[in-house]
Amino acid sequence: MTNTSSSPPSQSSFNIHRFANPRTFLRFASKIQSWVTISAIIFLVIGVIWGLCFSPADWQQGDSVRIMYIHVPMAILASGGYFALAACALCSLIWKHPLADLAAGEIGPIGAVITALCLITGSLWGKPMWGTWWVWDARLTSVLVLFFLYLGHITLLHAFDNQQKGYKAAAILALVGVFDLPIIKFSVNWWHTLHQPSTFSIIHAPAMSLSMIWPLIFCFMGFALGFIALVCMQLRAAILERQVRHFLLNE
Amino acid sequence: MKRKTKRLWIILGSMASFAIAIVLILSAFSSNLVYFKAPSQLINHPTVKGTTIRLGGMVLANSLHYSHKDQTPTAQFQVTDGQAAIEVHYTGILPDLFREGQSVIAIGTLDKNNIFTASEVLAKHDETYMPKEVADALRKSGKWDPKYGPPPDAATWDHMTQPK
Amino acid sequence: MTHLPYLIAAYGITVLSLGILSFHSWTRLKRVQKKLIQIQNNQQP
Repeated sequence: MTNTSSSPPSQSSFNIHRFANPRTFLRFASKIQSWVTISAIIFLVIGVIWGLCFSPADWQQGDSVRIMYIHVPMAILASGGYFALAACALCSLIWKHPLADLAAGEIGPIGAVITALCLITGSLWGKPMWGTWWVWDARLTSVLVLFFLYLGHITLLHAFDNQQKGYKAAAILALVGVFDLPIIKFSVNWWHTLHQPSTFSIIHAPAMSLSMIWPLIFCFMGFALGFIALVCMQLRAAILERQVRHFLLNE
Repeated sequence: MKRKTKRLWIILGSMASFAIAIVLILSAFSSNLVYFKAPSQLINHPTVKGTTIRLGGMVLANSLHYSHKDQTPTAQFQVTDGQAAIEVHYTGILPDLFREGQSVIAIGTLDKNNIFTASEVLAKHDETYMPKEVADALRKSGKWDPKYGPPPDAATWDHMTQPK
Repeated sequence: MTHLPYLIAAYGITVLSLGILSFHSWTRLKRVQKKLIQIQNNQQP
């Protein structure tokens, strides 16, 4: 096990610690916090009202299609959140950055809630449309695996008496689990699934009318900004809690 | 070599070998990961009669009719993938999205006369989201009938529905 | 409209759980900020 205190001082001019130390982050985060939160709320209010009241019903799904305005952003954020978790894990394992450990600890629970919401709203959409709450097809199963990866990450983080060991074990799990993300994305193309393939792709025009795409974009922006705002808030709290502990120990 | 660089290579190396392992496992189990089989697959590679299978495909246009044996009607329809069609019998409540031209998944068994008795039928909707007005306009233009399959590419909707 | 309960449930669960999460993190931040100020006040005199 390597530890930073015994390693020789870094000779490179680029030192990642200087760019992302907790104090700089704290100043930066408290400055952007209100802006991110307010714009998230604005986007969400516009997107949800647009999606619920003004966007057209689908020709065969009827009004049930409006579940999409929650389900799709949640699905994208569940994967995106895990990607952020894995990036934190990489920073934590290679550069031993303390902020990365804290960030991973705060992204985990929020990501788990979002993945659960993705599964629940998907289930509530599947029952009236497909005729079933749940099937064990490749897409649904791989998203369930993602949910358990989040849960495993949370558990591992707190499983050791030595907090550093917990961070390390959780980071390794986060990196191993990143392989689930391409499986989720491409499961609908690689194997026959009950879940339909992606509506959006890089090479084709989206198979959705513009009157539904716009509220979806607004909802996605709202949920994404809300996710960032939540992580920011939790991470600030976590840094301050650490300072409080530090003060109390030194007294 | 610096410690950080060493750690980076160790992590990259183990990630790469792990990725290879996952690819190998997935390709080995690929046939078990498919949720349903297409009619042509089922006819070309028959499984043991009586095992539960999931059959997926489109409900063939003009193939749906009901026979009343007892009180509940039995739906009889053909499921096709364009190459082969299998007759499916199902007694029970069909999902709301069920119609001719819809992709469905039937869960049940195939008997020796190649008639599939389903215990459950699920509707598999496609990835197209389209307002009712557009669907009606497309239908009216005569270029698309939902009976014969999924709607055309979204990029073509505008000039297909424009009045001449 | 027969599917309304599913729609309401989906939106309801989302609003409820995200609301609880936001409220929790907001109170957590306020609590620790208050505590930090308290500690700093104790140290100064």
